[in-house]
Amino acid sequence: MNSAPDHSLNMLVRKLESVAPLSHDERQAIQSLPVMTRILQPGQDIVRDGGQPSQCCLVLDGWTARYKLLSEGRRQILSFHIPGDIPDLQSLHLAVMDHSLCSMTVSTVAFIPHESLRDLTARFPGLAAALWRDTLIDAAIFREWMIGIGRKSAHGRIAHLFCEMYLKLHAVGLADHHRMPWPLTQIDIGDALGLSNVHVNRVLQNLRNQKLIILDRRNLTMGDWEGLSEMGEFDPVYLHLERRAAA
Amino acid sequence: MSLHLQPVRVATSSDDSESQLVFAEGFLVAMLVHLSEQHEDDAGRWFLEAGFGRIPSRDHPTFLDLDEAQTWIRQQLGNAYVS
Repeated sequence: MNSAPDHSLNMLVRKLESVAPLSHDERQAIQSLPVMTRILQPGQDIVRDGGQPSQCCLVLDGWTARYKLLSEGRRQILSFHIPGDIPDLQSLHLAVMDHSLCSMTVSTVAFIPHESLRDLTARFPGLAAALWRDTLIDAAIFREWMIGIGRKSAHGRIAHLFCEMYLKLHAVGLADHHRMPWPLTQIDIGDALGLSNVHVNRVLQNLRNQKLIILDRRNLTMGDWEGLSEMGEFDPVYLHLERRAAA
Repeated sequence: MSLHLQPVRVATSSDDSESQLVFAEGFLVAMLVHLSEQHEDDAGRWFLEAGFGRIPSRDHPTFLDLDEAQTWIRQQLGNAYVS
């Protein structure tokens, strides 16, 4: 563990500014939070189901995911998180974790003590409101995923996930021109969207053949944003972004 | 329990088309699809595309060959009768 340089918290500033305006003092207050950074290998647990953390985890680099393990080793991924996200922010107010959080890629994370976050939100109600707004958007994303898993085809679910991750990455400056890093495996996608590996593979091949996506190494280019949006019935309103990506 | 297989071609919107319907005592209980080359490591395996009645298709397992698939299907039918 190392003390993080101040600029690591710029990622949180950038994230919160994508969903709410911040004042100069609020930005300064975030940047002076004490944090400890750690580098994680893929598949490492950050917080476990049932744990009682005393700190929150800010993602600085890489992708993380919330998940729940079921019987017979079945895994349901609940959400994907990118730099700027605090996926376990709920632990600030809910003492016991009701799911786990892990790294999906090599990741750098910064741990912020609960005490410091409580102090920050007491001193800056605007920041408390911004974090609340982020939590509400998190809930909105869950509603969209519920619609997908409950009512959309495999094509629709996967297209929707591509559109959502692109806009989230774009909002924090990590994707542009309909091209984004794509570190997830087919199994990860299946575990998130309730699809078998075979179905995910068929859909991806189909989207490739239709030139809707180009997957090269660990990048995904969306060849037809409109086509994918339509296929996924994607309406970005639920992301409530301050500065919407020019799609 | 004896199972009866019937080859069919199935439309999966992919290269996977070779399929077997699986009947148990005259009832259709499963559809197995032979995975094509597009599945790389899984190519050649048999995929439970659909299960009916007592065959759970929630996790869509794959099997090395039709014998392994039939053994699994018999187990599921047997388990169901016991429970």
